[in-house]
Amino acid sequence: MASEPTDGGTASDRPTLTMSISQLRGRIFELISAGATIFGITVVMGMLVYVARDALRLGAADPGWYLVFFWTLVVPSLGMAGYFAVRDRAAGSVAYAATGIPVIGILVAGGLVIVFTELIDPQEWLALVFALVVAGAIISAHQRYRPQATFERLLVLFLTPILTLYGIPALSVDRAITTPLTGTELFTLSFSTPALLPSVRELLFVLPILPAGWILLLGTVTAPLAYGFGRLIAARRDDERGRLELVAVAVTVVAIAANIGPLVGLSAEGTILVTTALLVPTLTYLEGVVRRREGFAGLAFPVVLVGGTFVGAVLATSLGFASPDPWLDWSFLTSAPSRTPEDAGMYPPLVGSILIVIVIAMSAFPVGVGAAIYLEEYAPDSGRLGRFVDFLEVNIGNLAGVPSIVYGLLGLALFVNGVGLRDGIVIVAGLTIGLLILPIVIISSQEAIKAVPDSRREASYGMGATRWQTIRHVVLPEAFPGILTGTILAMGRAIGETAPLLMIGVADSVRSVPDGFFDIAAAMPAQIFSWKSELAPEFRTGVMAAGVITLLVVLLVMNGTAIVLRNKYQRE
Amino acid sequence: MSNESTDLQLAGGEQSRKARERLYRYIFLSCAALTVFITTGIFVTLTVDAVKFFSTVPPVDFLTGTTWRVSRGEFGVLPLVFGTLAVTVISALVAIPTGVLAAAYLSEYASARTRAILKPGLEILAGIPTVVYGYLALVYFTPFLRTLGINAGTFNILSASILVGILIIPMVSSLSEDAMSSVPDSLREASYGLGATKFDVTIGVVIPAAASGIFASFILALSRAIGETMVVAMAMGLRPRMPSTATGPFGIPYIQPMETVTTSGQTMTSAMIQAVEADAAVSPVVGQSLFALGLTLFVMTFAMNFLSNRIANRYREEYQ
Repeated sequence: MASEPTDGGTASDRPTLTMSISQLRGRIFELISAGATIFGITVVMGMLVYVARDALRLGAADPGWYLVFFWTLVVPSLGMAGYFAVRDRAAGSVAYAATGIPVIGILVAGGLVIVFTELIDPQEWLALVFALVVAGAIISAHQRYRPQATFERLLVLFLTPILTLYGIPALSVDRAITTPLTGTELFTLSFSTPALLPSVRELLFVLPILPAGWILLLGTVTAPLAYGFGRLIAARRDDERGRLELVAVAVTVVAIAANIGPLVGLSAEGTILVTTALLVPTLTYLEGVVRRREGFAGLAFPVVLVGGTFVGAVLATSLGFASPDPWLDWSFLTSAPSRTPEDAGMYPPLVGSILIVIVIAMSAFPVGVGAAIYLEEYAPDSGRLGRFVDFLEVNIGNLAGVPSIVYGLLGLALFVNGVGLRDGIVIVAGLTIGLLILPIVIISSQEAIKAVPDSRREASYGMGATRWQTIRHVVLPEAFPGILTGTILAMGRAIGETAPLLMIGVADSVRSVPDGFFDIAAAMPAQIFSWKSELAPEFRTGVMAAGVITLLVVLLVMNGTAIVLRNKYQRE
Repeated sequence: MSNESTDLQLAGGEQSRKARERLYRYIFLSCAALTVFITTGIFVTLTVDAVKFFSTVPPVDFLTGTTWRVSRGEFGVLPLVFGTLAVTVISALVAIPTGVLAAAYLSEYASARTRAILKPGLEILAGIPTVVYGYLALVYFTPFLRTLGINAGTFNILSASILVGILIIPMVSSLSEDAMSSVPDSLREASYGLGATKFDVTIGVVIPAAASGIFASFILALSRAIGETMVVAMAMGLRPRMPSTATGPFGIPYIQPMETVTTSGQTMTSAMIQAVEADAAVSPVVGQSLFALGLTLFVMTFAMNFLSNRIANRYREEYQ
């Protein structure tokens, strides 16, 4: 305290004065810094409220419409929330989960429906599942009958899936081999081989008749998913019950739904996917609530939400109130970009973003986790290799800070100009952004692996396990939720990346849906960027707002899932 | 199975196990080493094309030219550097005070409960896609500036830079907070013991003690602002411009700050976006100019990140 008086002249009142001044100064500083903490988020959230208003065109509705929904939806749900917060905390958390799980289920189902309608039909999916099952069976048979042959097994591990998926197809090569630098022709390579081994898919399609698509989905999506969740139930209950029950219930209900769906104009396949994604996680969660016997009241919350919406809609229509006319509606999500704002939609970019994320997950996740395992479990502290590892860590940190646009240039130079892939296709976009988020995946996986206590590792070594066995059976299972959380967050970052996409030539406006990994990609953020240059003012105030809200909702769901996962496993 | 063969089998098993262990080690090592490949990949690919670019456009013209107009083959980088500099300075003016104050609040004042809410709240800012910030700046923030009486054009430097500033707040605040909370409590208690108030401790002890960490966070945030692309590509316009000047008394030209920041400009990053979209139509030099700009950007940000990490690490060692 620089202002503290040193002379003790009027000792009785002066210290009080300075104390109150310095207290005031402290209070002001605290207030200012608290304001600074919330400044950014307030500004951004404030603007996002306006975006939501524009995207949903809330101004178009009658005041009566708001009044109806205020009484049927807002008052009951707020009342319940208030009751839960004050009286019944357990029911509150049940209400939260029982509302959130079906919502996430529906969004995941939306993604699945897109994948099955645009990418892969149920027959192809069956062939894929079948091929992988056959490969798995061969691998485990090999492991059982020849447990000693490690390298042979590695070979089997890599080759069997390829053989079951592709067989040994007929090969015909006819191209000139040139020297890489000068480009002079050395000789012409030309040969062809007959097809030696058919793939499982080809064998399967030899069958004269395959079951209808929805039955296949029932068998290859609903049943395995229910079995997986059923195992979760069985593990939680600590007994064997739950698996078959869940499969039986899910398959029956979903099968019935699939037969009702077409009657009201839905596709049977779509109905199956949506009901499965809605039913199976919800049932799993309900089982937990029933078993714990607490918070039953919370289950009423989603019912009140759905009921209130329904009653409100009926009332508002019968009273003749105008509802909002949102830009962000079903036709926005399901139609292609257009030059007229009313017809504009973002279905192709939505599909494109999903495909790109699949490529990113398959490339960046394994490599990132592998690198993190090396850095945390194998890397020596000293010696030449130790210095190299230090260098690696510094380098990874620096890579995380390289501007995303530079990664776009790398992708352009590496995959388009180098490998010779077409520019702007899904796989190039996915690999480029995969490179971009690799450092983030590595760093977050390292954090997760670091959090596994050393005592576990030492116990495992003490029992004679090798390093790989320890990693495989002790470290990875323990670190997995953390790794998954970090990866989902990184994926969220990946979905929003725009600059690298523009660099590798992802067209801003694609009208057709990409039908595979080697087709021209569209992506949500690139689409939003391209709407900027449309002339009609509705694009800026309406369509772009709807696009931004769609993107943010997808991100919110991903980040929300990641955070819930983290909280769940941190507690345990 | 005789005893001997069992032994043999065991030996074989162990050998293959060792081989397998080694194999996994190398697989994981190669995953980690891939990151070095990425760095060298970036550097080599950027350099190769940048060298091609500089064989047509002399480096001196590139570095000292004051016009960037690719359609006429004029590649003077200065207006772009100016645009980048303007964005960096204005966003730093927003982010640095806000970020440091937020860090001080989170580290010294906030209760554990408040922290648990506010900290993820700040992190959200970094999680929103930059294209969204660009949209906000273009459609909502610029009209807002006009209501404040600032005569801002449709595309302007000011609104883009302020949103870039908001976007980098979490970078400043989280690293600064790390630095502040790793200041040992003994320092705080010593000054409390001397009768200091919380304010005195924060301003007089914690912030100076954490200075190098806070400084590292500035560098990192600035490097992020330099590399920021979508916000400026959407809201700042695509007109590479030198600052607008006027002639003052005695004929001395001076820069008019308000006129400069309320009109459009262009950064290196948005020039790259524009060049890549025009690429096919124009000469190959335009495509190569991308890589020259990219190399400049990469070298600048990589150096800044490296410096920031070095400072932060050295600082961390001080108190351990």
